[in-house]
Amino acid sequence: MKIRKLIRLLHRDVGYIAFGLTIIYSISGIAVNHVNDWNPNYIITKDTLSIPENADSTIQSEILTKNLIDFYNISDSIKSYFRPNSHSIDIFLENKTLSVNFKLKQAILEKVESRSIFRESNFLHLNNPKKLWTWVADLFALSLIFLAGTGIFMIKGKKGLKGRGKWLILLGILIPIIFLFLYS
Amino acid sequence: MKKILIVSLILILTNLLIADEKKYGAEITLTEKTEISKILENAESFVGKKVLVEGTVISVCAKRGCWMNLSSDKEFESIRVKVNDGEIIFPMEAKGKKALVEGEIYSIIVKGDGCGDNCTDKHKSEEKCENEKTEKKVYMIKGLGAIIK
Repeated sequence: MKIRKLIRLLHRDVGYIAFGLTIIYSISGIAVNHVNDWNPNYIITKDTLSIPENADSTIQSEILTKNLIDFYNISDSIKSYFRPNSHSIDIFLENKTLSVNFKLKQAILEKVESRSIFRESNFLHLNNPKKLWTWVADLFALSLIFLAGTGIFMIKGKKGLKGRGKWLILLGILIPIIFLFLYS
Repeated sequence: MKKILIVSLILILTNLLIADEKKYGAEITLTEKTEISKILENAESFVGKKVLVEGTVISVCAKRGCWMNLSSDKEFESIRVKVNDGEIIFPMEAKGKKALVEGEIYSIIVKGDGCGDNCTDKHKSEEKCENEKTEKKVYMIKGLGAIIK
């Protein structure tokens, strides 16, 4: 078998295997690139609510929690509560937190939803699972190097490495170097 | 082959869904718990020491999961567990759950987040403006391992 034919064959099959992970890593890459502008893992919504007029923050926390849950007509089960200070209480519900500040006469109901696809992608991309996944990720990285390397030799002639290929490779190498000079 | 793949996937997903406690980072090695209130009472003496603490997760770093605050055994007190970015990622779902954390006590100097020179009358009425604007020492736990249940 000719070497170019073998390269094409391997490039094709490794490419098929790498397809899924390339998509996952790309989605997550874009998502975490913009972490300062948005939350790549969760959709967090906050609703400001008024507090009961006769609310008394000095009563026992358990009773206060029950009263507030009744007042806001919340049906979710209570996980726990916390008093950050004498005039506030945080009540933790399933994926929700009700924070009531009696001094500011304000309550905030925070709802947290998982940003599906992105969260799972980030979980894998950022190697959150560790263990065996580290090896899978390493293999994937090696397969990308292999795909990049074999990709260069896929085509002969004017559109191959000896033709426009070498200039495009040079451009691809120059881009990060230019940015290194600009920002370092 | 197809069947084996599907069954394995179902088993993995089921295992993930029914797990009622989750481990993060290194295995917990200490057996004796230290009360958070004891640490906060005399924090300086704990600096550099490894502790095992338990508390309710009251807040979590929403974007990176790189810290969480634990309630103390005493009212109105809490302590932050900070982890190296990416090493451990605490999920937002941990809020309200009990956490067992092993880590090392350390301190940092922080500036109060008052309104500074931009304080308006409206701002002055807000709680955050009551915070001191001076520097203060804050004690935290460098989280090494955790179990959230």
